[in-house]
Amino acid sequence: MNKKLEHQFVTELESNQNIVHKVCTLYTNDRDSHKDLFQEITIQLWKAYPKFRGESKFSTWMYRVALNTAITLYRKSKRRIKTQNYDSVIFKIKADEYNQEQEQQLTLMYKAVKQLGDIEKALVFLYLEDKDYREISETLGITEVNARVKMNRIKNKLRTIMNP
Amino acid sequence: MMDELELLKKDWQKKDEYLPKLSYDEIHNMIWEKSSSIVKWILIISILEITLPNLIYLSPSFREDEFFENVSNFSSIFIAVNIFYYSIVALYIYQFYRRYKEISVLASAKNLMHQIIKTRKTVKHYIIFCLSMSLIFFAFFIFGVSISDEFLRDIMAGMGDNSKEIPLDKIRTTAIWVLSIGGILFTAVAGGIYFLLYGLLLRKLKKNYKELKQLEV
Repeated sequence: MNKKLEHQFVTELESNQNIVHKVCTLYTNDRDSHKDLFQEITIQLWKAYPKFRGESKFSTWMYRVALNTAITLYRKSKRRIKTQNYDSVIFKIKADEYNQEQEQQLTLMYKAVKQLGDIEKALVFLYLEDKDYREISETLGITEVNARVKMNRIKNKLRTIMNP
Repeated sequence: MMDELELLKKDWQKKDEYLPKLSYDEIHNMIWEKSSSIVKWILIISILEITLPNLIYLSPSFREDEFFENVSNFSSIFIAVNIFYYSIVALYIYQFYRRYKEISVLASAKNLMHQIIKTRKTVKHYIIFCLSMSLIFFAFFIFGVSISDEFLRDIMAGMGDNSKEIPLDKIRTTAIWVLSIGGILFTAVAGGIYFLLYGLLLRKLKKNYKELKQLEV
């Protein structure tokens, strides 16, 4: 039974791993930390898996666990020396799809997002993942109205970071 | 700004091809790795905090110490205090365990933080209780020393017999000073280490929790 559960879990996570990678990309700055956080999220997902009864989609459930781990549970290990020149996924932009101005804008935007606080990043992340305000508010434990208010503040903040 | 965010959203959803891809086996290996989450740290530190003071007291070398034997014989209050102390310790362990079990990664971000803070509070109260107990013990000794010659002699007997020639009053004054300063110093250092440890561990969590709480105002 346990083997079956294990197999089921790893298969599901394997096909949904992009969500976790995206969270790691937002919350870490080098390859080792990325891997570290990915591992911790995987452990937390696995521990919580028996409680996941398929009431919601596997991916929906993953968002919550992944963000909770990144924001609250994960502790950066200090022993690590920062990997230099890590070309983060976030800054890889397909040049041929955008004009130069858009490309520049995107790079600036990603840089600005990286400077946000943990909670702000979570909101932006869920927004970018096309989640509605109901889901955002439930994931964070705030009201829908407050989620909107916060998102507006973040937009202003991003504007200020980009145009100092 | 709206346009820029929309642009960002569009690009974000196309990021998949740049993301790392882990194989089935890599993920499978990960699930058996040890967690290093903050909750685990709280559990480890708390277990240490609850067991260490008791281990020192229960260790044979400490119990066989003449000093404590003498004092223990001196008063049944000592036994009563011990019973009281261990029932409170048991109560704290029970409460800590219950709150620890309540922590769920499936809760909303705010609730999860709240659960962790609540669990930590249990330990905080326990530590405050322990520190107060240690102060009370010191006060108890100081009181004993100042009112009873017999008690003072008991303590001196526990420490060795080479101080017999010094006048009792002088020993009493010294003992009171040593116990007062020792008691305060011990409490301050133990408390300082504790609050520093948790302060560092939970700094990020508290900041984020405050940010979410502030939205409600």
